[in-house]
Amino acid sequence: MAGIFDFAPAIVLLPFLSFLIAVGTALSGRDLLPKGGAIPGIAATGGSLVLSVAMAAAVAGGEVYDETIYAWAAGAVPGSEGLELTFGVLIDPLSAMMLVIVTLIALLVHVFSLGYMNDDGQTGLPRYYAGLGLFTASMLGFVVADNLLMAFMFFELVGLCSYLLIGFHFREPGPPSAAKKAFLVTRFGDYFFLVGVVAVFATFGTAQFVGTESAPGFPVLAEQALHGEFTANTFLGLGPQAWFTVVGLLVLGGVIGKSAQFPLHTWLPDAMEGPTPVSALIHAATMVAAGVYLVARMYGFYAVSPTALGVIALVGGFTALFAGTMGVVKRELKQVLAYSTISQYGYMMLALGAGGYVAATFHLLTHAFFKALLFLGAGSVILAMHHNENMWDMGGLKDKMPVTYYSFLAGSLALAGIFPFAGFWSKDEILFETLVHGLGGSPLLLLGYAFGLLAVPVTAFYTFRMVYLTFHGEPRTEQAESPEPVRWNVKGPLAVLGVLATVAGAVNLAPVAVLTGAHVDFLHSWLDGGFSALTVHHYEEIDPYASAYLGGEVTTVLLGAAVSLGLALLGLGLAYRLYAVPEPVEHTDKLGSVKGLLYDNYYQDEYQVYLANRVVLPLARAADTFDQGVIDGAVNAVSSVSLFSGSRIRRIQTGVVSNYAALVTLGLTALLVVFGVLGGWLL
Amino acid sequence: MEPALLQADQLPTWTALAPVLALAVTGLLLLVIDSIDPNDTRPTLLAGVGTVGALAALGLAGWFLSAGTGQPSTNGAITLYGDALIVDGMTLFFQALFASVTALVVVASYDYLRGRAYQAEFYALMLFAATGMALMAAANSLAVAFVALELASLPSYALVAFLKRDTGSVEAGLKYFLIGALSSAVFAFGISLVYAATGSLLLPDVYEALAGDLTGLTGVAGVGILMVAGGFAFKTASVPFHFWAPEAYEGAPAPVSGFLSSASKAAGFAVAFRVFVTGFPLEAGVDWVLLFQVLAVVTMTLGNFAAATQEEVKRMLAYSSIGHAGYALIGLAAFTGAAGGDVLGASMAHLLVYGFMNTGAFLFVALAEHWGVGRTFDDYAGLASKAPVASVAMSVFMFSLAGLPPFGGFFSKYFLFMGAVDAGFWWLAAVGAVNSALSLFYYSRVVKALWLDDAVSEFELGSTPTALYAAVVFAALATVLLLPGFGPVIETAQSAAAAIVP
Repeated sequence: MAGIFDFAPAIVLLPFLSFLIAVGTALSGRDLLPKGGAIPGIAATGGSLVLSVAMAAAVAGGEVYDETIYAWAAGAVPGSEGLELTFGVLIDPLSAMMLVIVTLIALLVHVFSLGYMNDDGQTGLPRYYAGLGLFTASMLGFVVADNLLMAFMFFELVGLCSYLLIGFHFREPGPPSAAKKAFLVTRFGDYFFLVGVVAVFATFGTAQFVGTESAPGFPVLAEQALHGEFTANTFLGLGPQAWFTVVGLLVLGGVIGKSAQFPLHTWLPDAMEGPTPVSALIHAATMVAAGVYLVARMYGFYAVSPTALGVIALVGGFTALFAGTMGVVKRELKQVLAYSTISQYGYMMLALGAGGYVAATFHLLTHAFFKALLFLGAGSVILAMHHNENMWDMGGLKDKMPVTYYSFLAGSLALAGIFPFAGFWSKDEILFETLVHGLGGSPLLLLGYAFGLLAVPVTAFYTFRMVYLTFHGEPRTEQAESPEPVRWNVKGPLAVLGVLATVAGAVNLAPVAVLTGAHVDFLHSWLDGGFSALTVHHYEEIDPYASAYLGGEVTTVLLGAAVSLGLALLGLGLAYRLYAVPEPVEHTDKLGSVKGLLYDNYYQDEYQVYLANRVVLPLARAADTFDQGVIDGAVNAVSSVSLFSGSRIRRIQTGVVSNYAALVTLGLTALLVVFGVLGGWLL
Repeated sequence: MEPALLQADQLPTWTALAPVLALAVTGLLLLVIDSIDPNDTRPTLLAGVGTVGALAALGLAGWFLSAGTGQPSTNGAITLYGDALIVDGMTLFFQALFASVTALVVVASYDYLRGRAYQAEFYALMLFAATGMALMAAANSLAVAFVALELASLPSYALVAFLKRDTGSVEAGLKYFLIGALSSAVFAFGISLVYAATGSLLLPDVYEALAGDLTGLTGVAGVGILMVAGGFAFKTASVPFHFWAPEAYEGAPAPVSGFLSSASKAAGFAVAFRVFVTGFPLEAGVDWVLLFQVLAVVTMTLGNFAAATQEEVKRMLAYSSIGHAGYALIGLAAFTGAAGGDVLGASMAHLLVYGFMNTGAFLFVALAEHWGVGRTFDDYAGLASKAPVASVAMSVFMFSLAGLPPFGGFFSKYFLFMGAVDAGFWWLAAVGAVNSALSLFYYSRVVKALWLDDAVSEFELGSTPTALYAAVVFAALATVLLLPGFGPVIETAQSAAAAIVP
């Protein structure tokens, strides 16, 4: 039966096709396509968006889809049934939602690129659009992956594309270096991920997320193993619980790299060297989102491991606060946004670790909208400012760029978590979930909650410092006096995202649901559908958390919302005091010695370089010495011995046939004597 | 009892020799054509008849193999003429191998012999040699083994010396003949001693007698068995009877070198497998498994070491062919009685793959000789730019000979070494693996010269010899296709080998 789900692979293949077209154009060396190849990309992502919405509609109708498309390798495994490596498509509420987000953002980024790249007269456009197409296709392939190995492969492709696009301006010194850094740092995490994938196969014999009734996916197998209904292969002498934690943490390595969590976040600020639309794509919908999405995708596996959840929560909470403080002092517009991204993904990780599966997904959704909006808004400003990104050179842009200003403002309010913008709802739910689970007997989460709560005023402060410095006050340079006008292709995406950043919170008004009893937590119900093992209530059953309230649920909801909103307003107010003046000045000197620490990002880069130079490099040198000396030495010795004896053997071959006859006879005689003696019939 | 109807449908048993007869008749037919029209050389007709004859033999052998003639699926081995000849799976497997190589070489010789005299004699000699080899595979008696071996050898001497104005060819032929005569003497003497000890020349009888009480004749039998082994070592170019090989292969016309180093070597193994497995029990006076272990290790090591230091491609191939004889000897060296069929079959399968890749390599050398390109590695430099298709084929042969995937030589070597490991002789496999690693060095020198090095001098290749090209490309294709198609080959070989284990 042909259903809408049969078209699911087309969602991935359409952008891939646009990639192929763009590559073909680039290789032909001629200007074959109008707009440098943007049109196929727009058409492809538009088509994917339509298909994704259709998928989402079908999922809303209660259908789900998990089908293996192609088994590309199969083999026997000792002690279990055969092992198959497959490509397959999994469409359930989570992936359908993510598909819509990714295709929508990708479409808007393509349109925006018309203004940012084409109208700006950039060269190498086919290469740019090829990169965007492959990036989108890779991310979509990752989203629909129905097993961990396929997810890993597309995860790597996403990493490759980010490398290609961050280094788009490869003739300048900065971008190639940033691209390499992004590639290497994320690869460091992916190394653990790869080991984790192999470990999952070795442990469960399958890497399917869902699987079937008779052969369930690995999250379900993990659950069964803990109940003693399934025997998983564990290693290192660990019990199932401990071993699953190890495997989960290994996979988490990839997540920490891609989602830029402490301590592998250092690549992300540098990645700002890429074209701004690419930054929007990376931060909102593709690369960075991939990590968090992966944890959500296999949440059933993490949910059975309290230790892994605790690690996720603490890493996330710490990153949220840590990155936020660095964003406070940055001068460049995109740098502030970069640290805000790290910080926001920290919130999502905190939510996942604290059992707030819905909250994390919700924040992933709202963040995608408002962060894409902020980056595209920043792109608009940068375009108007002729690629000057220093906020201290801006000021007063709000009257000259009203569309950009108001949409950017909507995004900022969402990011700062101000009622009733989208970010308020999702962030509030994260903090609420963390708090009630922390009170319910997991005191560690209260530490995460404290991190998250402290990050709220910091976020509001740096966000509005950015808004005030950029748009308010008097223009501080000539460029800011007369910014370059931008066209519809910039304003259009901004307007769409501005609306979404304002109202997207409506998809899950959890506090309202608690207060009024109305069923307005739509996202919760949405994620509670589909495969029974991937539903919210299933996750709530198996995760280790219980809830407790401060004087009743309603009180807790109101108290939590009030505290976080109050803190956000506090940060906003401070930013207003300091920077919403006609002639703002730098206040960073008041920070004293902390200023340097923040400017230099807590010396994260420095200590990592130190580790590389002082620990890794000597180790590598030692290994190299061993390789060159011992291994190569042995190999060379073998070959010189062989060649020497070879040249000796050649000498036996004298060319004189009587010698040969003598040698044959002697050889035969020797054999006769030896075997005669051995056989006992000679002598 | 078979139902009467089926029996009536069956062919008479002598038809089981059809592959041999096809080869012999073709050889005679070539002589008839030549005697009718001795002066007018008709290369196309001669080569055509030779090819058709070889392909007919291949077709018959293939048909019998798939129809189950002489195999356990029907009534088991067919013995003829007082049990002197036997037709079973192993016979047919080797006959198919000889017929394939013969067909390839005959096709390739069409271009190689262009404008030379005595073409009919060349093809006839080749077909007669092939007949001898096919008989060697069917020998069930030591006397037949000797006669068949001589039938294969005598035309070979003439073929090696075929270029009679070329001193190298003539010298090689004479050396080959002298060492051959010595070896035949050793072989015949060995047979007589075995007869003296057992009173029979038929292999099953010999087996029975040797397994029984020899009462003081153990020494006679032991010396006899060792000397018989010497005769086979000559045919397979194994140490210490290998001295003729480098010179004969180097001096002979390149298609003949390919024929000798593939088919003739395989024929030596065919008869050696049969005689030792079905004729000489493991505990009969001489520990022949140990003997072949010694021979295998020494042969492969010497062949590979010497090949590594050669400057001429053809001579390198000659030594590499000695090395491969060492690998094929593992089939006997790791033979463990009842379970020995697996490693024996792996050895047979290796010889089949080797038949294609080694013949192909020599045919590429024939191509180079046809073009007048020199003989050393340096002379081959940059040839890939002029003849890319043939160079791809040669690279396939080289990597396959070295045992690299994705070519047929990978699996055949893999099964061979696995067979040795399974039989408990892991050290034999280890020596083989080390030798293979070394062989990659000199094989890749050819590939490097072809593709990476710049030509030292300009060369004009002239016309493209279609038939030679076709033979080279076909051999390369077979080498590649034998990787995915290795399953049926190894199954056939191993079941054929298992069937002869007493």
